Parts: sequence; structure tokens; C-alpha cells
Amino acid sequence: MSSLGRIVAIAGNTVREAIRNKVLYALLFFGVLLIGTGILVSSLSYVEGDRILQSVGLSSLRLFGAAIAIFVGVNLIHKEVDRRTIYTVLSKPLSRAEFLIGKFAGLVATLWLQVAVMAVAFVAVSLLSGAPLTGGHAAAVVLAAIELAVLVAVATLFSSFTTPMLASLFTAGFYVVGHVTRDLRELGSQSDVSSVQTMTAFLHRSFPDLEAFNLTTHAIHGLPITQAQVVWPLLYGVAYMGVLLTLACLVFQRRDFR
Amino acid sequence: MRERTETSEDAVSVEGLVKDFRPGFGLVRKRVLHGISFDVKRGEIFGFVGPNGAGKTTTLKLLMGLIHPQEGSARILDHDIRESEFRRHVGFLPENPYFYDYLTGVEFLEFYARVSGVPRGERPARIEQLLADVGLSHAGGERLRNYSKGMLQRIGIAQALIHDPTVVFLDEPMSGLDPIGRKEIRDLILRLNEGGKTIFMNTHILSDVEMLCHRVAIIVKGQIRFEGGPEDFLSAGHGGVDVVLSQMPPQALLDLEEQLELEVRGQGERIEANVAEKSLPDLLRGALAAGAEVVSVTPHRASLETVFLDAVEQGNQDDGSANRAEGGAR
Repeated sequence: MSSLGRIVAIAGNTVREAIRNKVLYALLFFGVLLIGTGILVSSLSYVEGDRILQSVGLSSLRLFGAAIAIFVGVNLIHKEVDRRTIYTVLSKPLSRAEFLIGKFAGLVATLWLQVAVMAVAFVAVSLLSGAPLTGGHAAAVVLAAIELAVLVAVATLFSSFTTPMLASLFTAGFYVVGHVTRDLRELGSQSDVSSVQTMTAFLHRSFPDLEAFNLTTHAIHGLPITQAQVVWPLLYGVAYMGVLLTLACLVFQRRDFR
Repeated sequence: MRERTETSEDAVSVEGLVKDFRPGFGLVRKRVLHGISFDVKRGEIFGFVGPNGAGKTTTLKLLMGLIHPQEGSARILDHDIRESEFRRHVGFLPENPYFYDYLTGVEFLEFYARVSGVPRGERPARIEQLLADVGLSHAGGERLRNYSKGMLQRIGIAQALIHDPTVVFLDEPMSGLDPIGRKEIRDLILRLNEGGKTIFMNTHILSDVEMLCHRVAIIVKGQIRFEGGPEDFLSAGHGGVDVVLSQMPPQALLDLEEQLELEVRGQGERIEANVAEKSLPDLLRGALAAGAEVVSVTPHRASLETVFLDAVEQGNQDDGSANRAEGGAR
């Protein structure tokens, strides 16, 4: 069997595990519920009701997606080691990199399934409320899905060498920092002190610019979205995932499973 | 222990493996394997025996590539263990295995068949055959979380065999099983061996080793203290030889007893003497010269338990001496 076949086997098993995990259903249920509460929140306002509804919906999708990515991602390897299931899998003719990439792919597939369910809930709520739906909304959901995949890659990297507690702290920190580096760079560029400019520019380059994947404002305000605004973040996300997974594989390769 | 036809081909060859661990977050390394070496011949059941914490599981994890050695090397079927190629020919059942309990027996074996590279067309028949071999045909559709410990152990062996490996590594395969479960696993191991598979078995249950294994290695505190088969127990410094004599003059017996440090039982017509192997010729010469008749000469074979306990004691003594030497050096 090819390397791809083995990766698909690991990914398939990861998806199956997630599908049979009740905790994920609970998280998904609350995600969908929050999207639904957009109707209630928007009814409290006399103006901009549609935008509030869709803002709550898309933000819920992204936040719950991130929560699931961190919650499941940081346990990705730890659970396998803790339950010692990794011993039998790695004793098969399968490289550690194939195993890690398979786990990553499986979690991303699971997450994208959940994003699809939440997107359907978002569309249903929008249609029920008569809020407009455009291609911009679809682009926003697609880029949100890519952002979550990057987050899973971050969680995979940390889970390849540290405990779930530390990995969740690091990954959540990465998520928060990733959303503010662009603002920091803007602030830094207005500073007269060159070291501040250098530092904020460095931070922006070192951490993933997760705001690049955020088209929520464009979508809900009906602003035009260029092809570049979708394609560049896509390529940026794929490149970032490649770097993170390569690092994760290098770390994982050297690890002892005691 | 069981006898087998000698073969010179090694299935597993371990040379000077050293492994250190860092307990907790400490910077100090603790050596758990002190350059161990041993060989496993093709087609044999090899018992890797030692008390708890001796380094059995660590050795097995090194051989499976789950941890990396500081020094030394090992080859399985002539492949370096740092390659992943040899795993095509190797099956592994870890100690107290935990499996994906959300899968059914069939799904579980299907998954391992896929990662082991078993062609799609061969999988259903292979899975059916293995379930029958381990006596789980009736439970293939049940989730593993509903399996008993014995059933989990058997499905674990089935996953180890899914790609028809040449060498099977089993870590404490009988641990925690009731007598019936243990017998089932023992029978299964014997059947596998009769089918040509080499079995490497970690255990501390000596009765199982005596029933199953052709050869053993005894590891104590990270060092191999004994390696060999039943024939090597004779030369392990145990037992000596039992000699039965008749018509032995009492004075000649007393003389020989003093000279050769004999252990003598019985008196009068029939005398039983236990003598060290090296003193046997002197005893026989002396007895015949005194006009006695030699009724029988039987090598006294030590039990595995004796060899094991001596190895443990020797390990403890060496450890104590090393600690004292270290204390003195400070």
C-alpha cells in the first residue's frame, strides 16, 4: 500500500473516532445553538438586524471551530500515547510522519465536517430571517475552514512534544496573537521609535496572520471581495501548514514513547 | 523447557544496547539498559525473562523503534531496527494493550490490515481466518469496549498477525488472564510456532516459559545474566551430577566424600552421591578402584526457577557492590 493509502487509513480512523465521540457533538450542538441565537440578538436591535444576525453566526462558526480545533488537536497525539494505542500502530510498516500527517488530516476532515454543519445552520438562520446570502459568505466560510486547518497544524506541532495542558495554552496563545499581529504592526508603523516598528513587524512575520482569513466584515457588509483576497490567504495557509507539519514531523521522529 | 532443532540463522540479533531515561524533569540520566546483547534463532520461542522493572519492556520498545538507544545496535531478520522495512515482517502485542475501543473487532483488524499494507482483496478472508484462529468469530461485530480482557488479548494477537509476520513479539501475553485464558494463549503461541513463526515473549511467569520456550534470556537490572536453553542450565553452575553406586566399601566412601565434597544419601547396598561435574571422573575412578559398581550417572538439571533466582541474586549483589564502590569513591 502506498504512503497515501496509509495516511488515509490513519485519517479515516481519526474521523471515525471523532464521529463516535459525544463531547464533539455537544460542542457542535452549542455552536449551532449560538448561530440560532443570532435571531434573538438581532431582534433586540431596530437597525442592522441582518448584519448582527450574520455577524453572530459567522463569529460563532469561527469561535466554536477554533475551540474544537484546540480541544481535539492538543489531544491528538497525547491520547494515542496515553492509551498506548500508538505502540501497535507504529510497530506496523508506517513512518511516524505518515502517522502524524494522517492524524492531522483526519482532524481537519472532522473539523471541516463540523464547519459544514454550522454553515448549513448559518444558511438556514439567514434564510429564515430573510438576510441576504452572497458569494462573500461562502468565501468567508471557506477561509474560516482554512484558518482552522492552520490552527490544527499549530495544535499538532505542540501536541507532538508537550502535554495537552501546555499545548492548549500555546495553541490558544497562538490563536490570539495571530489575530492581533496585524493591528500591532499597524500600531507599530505609526510609532516614531524604529525598534518598536521592527519588533511589531517581526511579530507579524513570525506568527500566522490569522486576520488574513477573516472575511466576516466583507461578507456581512456586502463589500466586494477580490480573487486575491481569497487565493493569497489560501496559499499562505497551505504554506504555513507545510512548515508547521514539517517541524512537527521532525520533533515527532525523535520522540521516545516510554 | 522444550527442545528444538538447532538453526544458525538469527531472527533477532541485539548488540550492546544502552538506554538512558531522564526521570521526571530531572537533568540526571538513569541507565536502564547496560549494553545488553543476545540472539534469537529463527523458528524458536524465545523467553525474555526478568523481574518487574528489569528492562524487558524497554528492550522490546527499542526493538520496535518506539524509543531510541543511546548506544548499540539491533537487527531483525537482517534489517537494522532504525529502518522501517523490517516491520513488514514483524508483529507486536504490547503489555496490557489498549485498543481503539470504539471499533468493532472487524473494523479494528481492517484498520491494522490497511496500515500494514494488506491488499484490499485479501483483507476480508484474512480477517475472517484470524478471528477464527483466535476464537473470536462470534465477536467480530462487537465493539472492543465490550470485550473481556482475554478477548482483548486475543484480538491484540490477531492484529499482530494481520500481515502474516515472520517474527512475533509479545509483551506479557498472559498477564492478567485467568487459567483458561492463559491456556488459550499458550495453545495459540504453540500453534503459531508450529506454523513457522519465531516468537519473542517477554514475561516473568516462569511456568509459562518452561512450557513454551526453547531458549531464554534472563535480564536483571538492565543486564543479561543468562542466555541459553535447558542444556545450558547444566553449565550454569547448578546441580552437578547424581551418581548411584552399589557395593561401595564404607571407608572408601568416607575418603572420597572428604576429597571431593560429595553430598551422600543412603547407606549400605545403595548409595546416592551428588558431585560437581568436574569431580565426576575422580569419583568414578575412586569408586571402581574400591570395587564398587556404578548403577547410574544422571546429570542434575537445575530448574529455570533456580537459574532465575540465582541471576536475580547475582544482579542484586553486583548492584550493591557498585553502590558501595560509588559511595567509597565519593
